[in-house]
Amino acid sequence: MAAQTLAEAAVNEGNYAVAFPFFGAERRGAPVLAFTRIDSKKIFSKTQVYNPDCVVVLDDSLLDTIDVVSGLKPEGIAVINSKERPEDIDLGKIINTATVNAISIALEILKAPITNTAILGAFAKATGVVKIESLEESIKRKFGEKLGEKTGERNALAARTAYEKTIIGKSRGIKKLEARKQWLPTYQEMPVGGSLIEGKTDAGLIGPGSFIENKVSGWATYRPLRDREKCVMCLLCWFYCPEGTIHRISNRGDLMTNYDYCKGCGVCANECPVDAIKMVRARV
Amino acid sequence: MKKVITGDHAVAIGAKLCRVEVVPAYPITPQTLIIEHIADFVNDGELDAKFLTMESEHSVMSAAAAASAAGARVFTATSSQGLAFMHEMLYATAPLRLPIVMPDASRTLGGPPGIWCEYNDSMGARDSGWLQLYVEDNQEALDMVIQSFRIAEDKRVLLPVMPCLDGFVLTHTVEPVDVPQQEEIDSFLPPYEPDIILDTARPAMIGTFMPPEYIMEMRRQTAGAVESSKEVIQEINSKFAKKFGRDYGGLIDTYRMDDAEIALITMGTVTSTSREVVDELRQKGEKVGLIKLRFFRPFPSRELKKAVSKLSALGVFDRSISYHGGGQVYNEVRSALFGMTIPVINHLAGLGGRDVTKEQIMKMFELTRKAAKGEKVNEINWHDTRGETV
Amino acid sequence: MITIKELPDENLFTAGHTACPGCGVAMSIRNAIRVLGKDTAVYVPASCGVVFGTTFPYGAWKVPFFHTAFENTGACLTGMQAAFEKKGKKVTVVGFAGDGGTYDIGLQSMSGAAERNDDVLYICLDNEAYMNTGIQRSGGTPFGAWTTTTPVGKHIQGNRRFKKNLGDIVVAHEIPYYATLSIGQPLDFIRKVEKAKNIRGFRFLHMFTPCIPGWKMDPARTVEVTKRAVESGMWTLYEVENGEKRITYKPGKMKSVKDYLMMQGRFRHMSDEDINALQMWVCKKWNLHYKEKGSPDICEIAPPEEHHAVTEEHREMHGP
Repeated sequence: MAAQTLAEAAVNEGNYAVAFPFFGAERRGAPVLAFTRIDSKKIFSKTQVYNPDCVVVLDDSLLDTIDVVSGLKPEGIAVINSKERPEDIDLGKIINTATVNAISIALEILKAPITNTAILGAFAKATGVVKIESLEESIKRKFGEKLGEKTGERNALAARTAYEKTIIGKSRGIKKLEARKQWLPTYQEMPVGGSLIEGKTDAGLIGPGSFIENKVSGWATYRPLRDREKCVMCLLCWFYCPEGTIHRISNRGDLMTNYDYCKGCGVCANECPVDAIKMVRARV
Repeated sequence: MKKVITGDHAVAIGAKLCRVEVVPAYPITPQTLIIEHIADFVNDGELDAKFLTMESEHSVMSAAAAASAAGARVFTATSSQGLAFMHEMLYATAPLRLPIVMPDASRTLGGPPGIWCEYNDSMGARDSGWLQLYVEDNQEALDMVIQSFRIAEDKRVLLPVMPCLDGFVLTHTVEPVDVPQQEEIDSFLPPYEPDIILDTARPAMIGTFMPPEYIMEMRRQTAGAVESSKEVIQEINSKFAKKFGRDYGGLIDTYRMDDAEIALITMGTVTSTSREVVDELRQKGEKVGLIKLRFFRPFPSRELKKAVSKLSALGVFDRSISYHGGGQVYNEVRSALFGMTIPVINHLAGLGGRDVTKEQIMKMFELTRKAAKGEKVNEINWHDTRGETV
Repeated sequence: MITIKELPDENLFTAGHTACPGCGVAMSIRNAIRVLGKDTAVYVPASCGVVFGTTFPYGAWKVPFFHTAFENTGACLTGMQAAFEKKGKKVTVVGFAGDGGTYDIGLQSMSGAAERNDDVLYICLDNEAYMNTGIQRSGGTPFGAWTTTTPVGKHIQGNRRFKKNLGDIVVAHEIPYYATLSIGQPLDFIRKVEKAKNIRGFRFLHMFTPCIPGWKMDPARTVEVTKRAVESGMWTLYEVENGEKRITYKPGKMKSVKDYLMMQGRFRHMSDEDINALQMWVCKKWNLHYKEKGSPDICEIAPPEEHHAVTEEHREMHGP
């Protein structure tokens, strides 16, 4: 939605723009990828963008696992939703960086952790590719059409607020991010028919049960905290958890939550009969 | 043991000899006799198989896929609209490398509705990854069910195979068939022992959702399997010939081609009739020959190129049309012979089950001869079609 | 009967799968497979379950998994079971199909397997719309509900047909076991899965599985909403064993359907007239299931609770 809104704003300024998502297999809350190309003339290229002028990161927890600036042009800029200042963010290289605390803006204005409109304001400030007024206009129309005028206006305000609060600077470049390993077999190495049994590759497990390789904590806005004193070990949270990330430690008569696989749905807290579980912000 | 039986009966006996384990079935003319015979075998205790009366062809191929993935040797048969109805599942089974064998009783795919022989049913499945072959008599129908399982289950192939037999012309026609002994087949066709199956002792995931970073390799792998089936087909043909004394030539068969100046490429039962036409023309001193296209998938481009290398013109018979002008076989042949300069013309005949007579075949040779002489001939020739002149 | 405490620790549907937070389907699959155990092979037709359960080369299932298409769950179960039986293997063959894959496109295939009384367990995960393709109406969508193909327009608001009575269709096949389940009633859920596992022939478990984005609701309330569905009569917990129907949980006084509707954004546009029409439908269903033979119709409804309206913020949070 952010990529499309940006494209519309650019077009309204007389440019040509193309916006498209990469359709992944993951469901709501999972990291997603979207691209926008803006030019003064018609854009024919229909491929994904590999060397962008600007990378927009809506969730700074991704910075721990993904080298978000690996393809960014040297003179380009990274726009990041973060409470940190640019110089406190380590992107593995020193590069133009803009930051804004979009999540707190969103929570304040929209009462929900939806950062896609706020971050557009930061983009406008950081790049100057579109005017903030054009963005406000296309946000109002696009969100207003679907969700009502008031919602449109509030989202536009979120963008404007973010625009004003954006800090531009340079990132730090200390950490070394290793590219996430991926098993990419040749066609000769592909299992016949794509049928897999349990296996291990240089990039980790494959086959039945291998989704355990997929840490989904990045999806979570909240996470559960259990009060051991209050807990009566009824096991309802263990039963209901759709992720299976609450484990029984039978010999200790205890439970343990592996936050690597918690998406923060809050079912455990909602269903706990003795209110022993509280949902707290996963990242502040 | 000689038996005088229909093509459908021969096919059913072939399946029984292969000791098929699961047979999902659904009736459709002119295939129905096949599954009826199998049902008899099962209910009489002659065949120890699970015979499943499904409620549609789509479900037939779905059950076949699942049973095959669970490690069973699976057989079924279909025709025309039934093949079209299971089309989706043809595309599911081949890349999953499930070696199902399913004869197709060739029948026109409506509309307009009809029940007689035409190849537009199986031609629609040519890009699914299934291997396809066409037989000319009931003996070949039986023998090719047996060979099909060996080809399909060969580790270099692992693809489903569709032997096609002409609706009514073979399915409901009796002729003498030499039925092999069970022991002979048991020693020719080993039990099916796949590597990865649905097994609770060693769980596998088969048919997972697959993102773009893997599908190109999957397609390439399937293409490679189709390619390597060529060598397997020739190899199994030789082994079968050695054991049973019947040599079908493998990918293609040729008849009186040694000094032929012109030739026809034919499929199915028209090949059989054409053999007599070739003999008659030869008696008149005409140097004509015949190439029988046995396998349409894999397409034997190299073998055809070699077979036609000394010809001065080639006629290609098609029993279906691709609505771009000519038939599908013509298309493929032209593409295979790219770079060769001899005239190649297309003969469309027998669509919708119209009888393909000797006169028509004579005409095909006559037109091909004209082309060889450099006379003006239509590229696409509709035989025995009112309003068309050939 | 197994209690929650006695359920095994082993996770046969592992963490790291990619279902939405609070997914009712993931919850139901995980617990069904907990009870069914490792001697199980599953078929999943085209659905969220395929996508979040397996994405090459990864998979959450630790039991044999098969998938080919959308409309063929019944047939694939039949084929798989036949192969196992031929090979002399004892395996519980289970299908996990959605409502679209069962009520609509897969009905014929399901009916075939049911009519043949094939020895398989068919599980319908009913989230009342085509959720994998992005929330389109199915035969299982309730009256009034918004979906992308039953939008809330100026002239027509939401789905105009009542939810198809799949239970009676399935039961009409005279199968050994049909049961409705809800994850909100854990003991009833576990007991029915265990029972279905041990019966031979065609068994059908009909699970009520909330979809967070499709129902436009707070992910934390997945379980709560199923409880409200049962208390209001929108979902009924019963089983039919060899033709004998038995209510397995009878709620107290019927709760207003409004209590259930107001938890979900998909119903928030409903007019009083539409809510009333749905309430009448529920009353009819309630009488059908809960009324004692010979006694007069009961349609006493507890007054709606003071519910919090679904706010603008809520809509934003849960998307268009």
